[in-house]
Amino acid sequence: MSILNRRQFLRQLGVSSAALPFLAGLPSLMGASTPQSRQRVIIMFSPNGTLPNEFWPDAAGELAFKPIMEPLNPFKDRTLVVDGICNKIRGDGDNHMRGMSCLLTANELLPGNIRGGGGTPAGWASSISIDQEIKNFLQGQKDTRTRFGSLEFGVAVPDRADPWTRMSYAGANQPVAPIDNPYQMFGKMYGRMKDRDNLVSILDDVREDLTRVSAKLSARDKALLDQHVTIVRNLEQDLKHSDKDAKMTHPMPELDPSVELVNDNTPQISRMQIDLLVNSLANDMTRVATLQYMRSVGQAQMRWLGIQEGHHSLSHEPDTNQDSYAKLKKINTWFAGELAYLAKRLAETPEPSGEGSMLDHTLIVWTNELGKGNTHALDNIPCVMIGGAPGFKMGRSVKLDKTPHNRLWLTLAHAMGHTQLETFGKADLCAGGPLSLA
Amino acid sequence: MNPIFRTLFPRLTSKTPTALALGGLLLSGPIVGLAAEKNHHSEKTYDLPAGEARTGAAIYQKMCADCHGDRGQGVKDEYDEPLHGNRSLQSLVKRIARTMPDDNVGACVGDDASKVAAYIYDSFYSPKAQARLNPPEFDLSRLTFSQYRTSVADLVGRFRPGFDRALGAQHGLKAHYSGLQLEKPADPAATTEAKPVDKPVAKKGDDKKKNRPKVQFDRVDSEVDFHFAATSPDPEKMEPEEFSVRWEGSVIAEETGTYEFIVKSENGVRLAVNDMKNLLVDAWVSSGPDVREEKRTVFLLGGRAYPISLEFFKFKDKTASIELLWKTPHGVVEKVPSQFLSPERLRETMIVKTTFPADDRSVGYERGTGVSKEWDAATTDAAIEVAEHVDAHLDELAGTKSGAPDRVDKLKQFARKFAEAAFRRPLSDDAYHHFIEHQFEVAKTPEIAVKRAVLYTLKSPRFLYPEIPKEGKPDGYDIAERLALSLWDSIPDTTLLRAAAEGKLQTHDQIVAQTNRMMADARTKAKMHGFFHYWLELERAEGIQKDPKSFPEFDAQVLADLRTSLFLFLDQVVWSDKSDYRELLQANYLLLNERLAKLYDKSVSGEGFQRVEFDPNRRSGVVTHPYLLAAFASSKQTSPIHRGVFLTRTIVGMTLKPPPMAVAFEDAKFDSHLTMREKITELTKNTNCMGCHGTINPLGFSLENYDAIGRWRTQDNHKPVNAVTDFSTDEGDKIHLTGARDLVKFAAETPSGHRAFIHLLFQYTVKQEVNVYGPDELENLRQSFTSSGFNIRKLLSDIAITAAMRGTPEPEAKVAQESKPSTAPKPL
Repeated sequence: MSILNRRQFLRQLGVSSAALPFLAGLPSLMGASTPQSRQRVIIMFSPNGTLPNEFWPDAAGELAFKPIMEPLNPFKDRTLVVDGICNKIRGDGDNHMRGMSCLLTANELLPGNIRGGGGTPAGWASSISIDQEIKNFLQGQKDTRTRFGSLEFGVAVPDRADPWTRMSYAGANQPVAPIDNPYQMFGKMYGRMKDRDNLVSILDDVREDLTRVSAKLSARDKALLDQHVTIVRNLEQDLKHSDKDAKMTHPMPELDPSVELVNDNTPQISRMQIDLLVNSLANDMTRVATLQYMRSVGQAQMRWLGIQEGHHSLSHEPDTNQDSYAKLKKINTWFAGELAYLAKRLAETPEPSGEGSMLDHTLIVWTNELGKGNTHALDNIPCVMIGGAPGFKMGRSVKLDKTPHNRLWLTLAHAMGHTQLETFGKADLCAGGPLSLA
Repeated sequence: MNPIFRTLFPRLTSKTPTALALGGLLLSGPIVGLAAEKNHHSEKTYDLPAGEARTGAAIYQKMCADCHGDRGQGVKDEYDEPLHGNRSLQSLVKRIARTMPDDNVGACVGDDASKVAAYIYDSFYSPKAQARLNPPEFDLSRLTFSQYRTSVADLVGRFRPGFDRALGAQHGLKAHYSGLQLEKPADPAATTEAKPVDKPVAKKGDDKKKNRPKVQFDRVDSEVDFHFAATSPDPEKMEPEEFSVRWEGSVIAEETGTYEFIVKSENGVRLAVNDMKNLLVDAWVSSGPDVREEKRTVFLLGGRAYPISLEFFKFKDKTASIELLWKTPHGVVEKVPSQFLSPERLRETMIVKTTFPADDRSVGYERGTGVSKEWDAATTDAAIEVAEHVDAHLDELAGTKSGAPDRVDKLKQFARKFAEAAFRRPLSDDAYHHFIEHQFEVAKTPEIAVKRAVLYTLKSPRFLYPEIPKEGKPDGYDIAERLALSLWDSIPDTTLLRAAAEGKLQTHDQIVAQTNRMMADARTKAKMHGFFHYWLELERAEGIQKDPKSFPEFDAQVLADLRTSLFLFLDQVVWSDKSDYRELLQANYLLLNERLAKLYDKSVSGEGFQRVEFDPNRRSGVVTHPYLLAAFASSKQTSPIHRGVFLTRTIVGMTLKPPPMAVAFEDAKFDSHLTMREKITELTKNTNCMGCHGTINPLGFSLENYDAIGRWRTQDNHKPVNAVTDFSTDEGDKIHLTGARDLVKFAAETPSGHRAFIHLLFQYTVKQEVNVYGPDELENLRQSFTSSGFNIRKLLSDIAITAAMRGTPEPEAKVAQESKPSTAPKPL
């Protein structure tokens, strides 16, 4: 049943549009077949480079985690660390800009008016990003099509649109804004579900009010209001009825209604976003997601870690500054902890098809726009994968030799079934094709 | 109803009282009704039994009742239309004598015709008889969609004081320019080209620049249309490589509908309209040297102004330019004209985006007399939308912030004021408990309680059915509510509610004073625009296209200009001191800009629309405005029948009955040498047709001097135009018309024309039938209209007051009432 027909169908069922998004996830009402095995991908981003010595395993082969990676210990056998991935895109823009806006597009920036810390000003990315490429591929096939195709989550992304804040692109000049407000994301996913709850609980009142007002009317006037009362009563019954029958694969998550979107609440917001992300995958609203923490050159003050200085300023300090070094270690370890939470939530959730957990069918890629903060290097950018996908052998560390990240994204596309894709981004950086990570 | 009749009779339905059309059938064009010849039973005798008195009743039962029913109700398969209408008694007599009974014409003439006509007239035909037999009742109505939208805008606006204040006379936007000083004071002789700007600037230079003083200046720009090329806004002083501008103020929307805003620039731009939190256009990042065109649409309510902000910046782009354009609901893409911009910035207006099902128009005008599941669902969606808006702006609206010690009190106060504004009266203790207190008791947080209270309020019949009867006589709040609905399609403002609370909406004078105040509000002007649209059936003009071969000049731009021209004229007349209805019909001028003047054979130089005088025989008011003439015409040719039907019903005020069957006007079937007048005459020559076309045709023909785009012409199909006609009034008088001027002179003076105008204005304003307010109300209004010198504003105000005072003591008691102690207004 197509989306449009479903809408009409539900209207005929007598369900108000307030309940539509809720019912839209219902296999019983949608007539969907039993879930098939699904492959998903999540790209997680954290900014300002890492501390290579505290991050990269010393050797290829069996994994031995360095301090930053320690939160991932429970998932060691499901982790693949790939060292030696380089963003070789040059051209307009400074390294942060190219680090960010060429990260998922692997192509040069368009000329523009945005002033960087050095180099020439630049504009938006000149081509599609890998998440959107995979989304378009999945949406192009009936079996893998989902309601959204992709969801772009953000955490504490500043409210401004420029090449430092956007990594996802629907095409040249078409940045996709991440949603960093969990309530907004919730609204997008569940429409007016939350208001539906409020509505259901006031419908009784509304009907009583109608009856009260109607009682004072002449027979002629009353007819109109009586008709209205009937409509409200039917709506109420429909909603109650659908409430009973309608159980989503996974219930809508409960959001703490009163978290303010301010810097200091970032940890809570991060967990809310991760919960929503896992929920969206569990209910098969999407199979592609990005999770963007802050932005390139982000100045988050992580007071929840006891850090007052802005992240980007700290990342500029020389390695010899022990204080800032320790703080950067804490910051990056915190990001690893958020990744671990995401992996944990997926591991706890059974795959709807019954085969293992959702983590088994989801590949998370954690990356960064820089290899190292104080050198602004675009070489050896962090690349940690957790979960599972065809063609990826997990539980180990791999050392590559200065490999363009174009090839990494090509590998990812192929793992998602998009095997027709021969090059991605800047074509002459794709020599050698997909990487062999099996 | 046949869809083609619908185009011809947009306001006519089976429910509309129609004229007695004894044997008369109406033809239309391009669709024409044709009579099917009826085979009547063998000739009857109409002799009354010997000895029976020849009373009107007896004659009727004998000669008429078989076909018309014993009480004029009609007989199926004979003559099923009920016999009531607006013809005079004298006209009925003539008609009966001439055409009845239709199988034995001549059997009822002379004294018999007079007697039976009087019987018919008094027993059921006349409006008075109908009012006695079927006393009209007030229809309980819910808010129409447009009333809902306006009410919500003003309801939320209540908490943004000043959101609807009147703007000053200055036009344009406030601009703030900011840049860096040129390195050296510019040599006055140096040309701007002397400064190379695309040379890469060394990093050292960048550092130097940082310390350079800024150049800033403010001014008001009448429009945003700047092409700085490679220079800066102040080439003498300001560095061209890098600068920014911010324009701020308000944008005025005359019409309700979707506005497209377009920003053109090769640099960085951001545009916000109405909603300052969410950008309409975010093109801050430029991409290459090409000028980009960013388009976004936003729905705006007419007659209001909205905050606008446009930011611009250039950094190292080779060139700089910016243009702000728009396309109004019935306009074409153009620079946002200065007169629609103001440097004063207003606050946001909440505009409901939910779409409601179309309101009932079965009686011609939109009204809220029915409810449906779809409508209920729309009220739910809209209530949720408003609740979300309130939630997102809660601190601003409730005047509090998170963590404030009195936050909960403030939120409760907000919820209460919101409900009271929505219900248009204070809450009783009981209602306060249901709508507010209870919600705060059951909700998890005070914020959720506010959302619940808003949802509950907007779903309540107390909001949705504004005139829901309360116990007892109407009080000041009822008066306030009715005035606001009639004049603004909205809720009362705080001034009105205060007057109601203080018992100052009791006497006629007090109500008149409030009405006069309200008349000056932009919302009344917006409502009148809606009326013009309804009165002149402008729907048919929207988006019309003419045959490009015959009228290559008539493009979308001309159509948009004509609409502007018409509305400027209507506004100018209605809001002038005299506000004279006769001027609308008889003005011998048009407001034209240069483009229109050229097309309509006049000349105008300079900007904007100017008054252009015509030979009085060539232009006479709205009916000869090219926008209407083009609307009431086909793509190549005139349509005397469309024009005639409009003139008959709307301007002259005679009623017509829809034709019983439709036949298309097929041009190819006529002799190609005929004029349009000759074709229509040929088509409708059947006597059955002429019952109505005897009126329609002459009126339509009197506009034959105007072609399908409203230009003056003296030739039609290579023959001279003949616009001279005679037509018969309802009273049976023959009127000789030599063209449009004679026609409007007659229409401007005839009481039936005045009644038609009053009737339509009443329907549109109050959304009830005028006779609900008493069988004499139409006549009272007409007399007042006449004695005021046909003052339209006075008429509107009379109508609003009539509607407001329904159920209050009779106007005669007004004077005595002033001395009476006022009864305390009732809470809900």
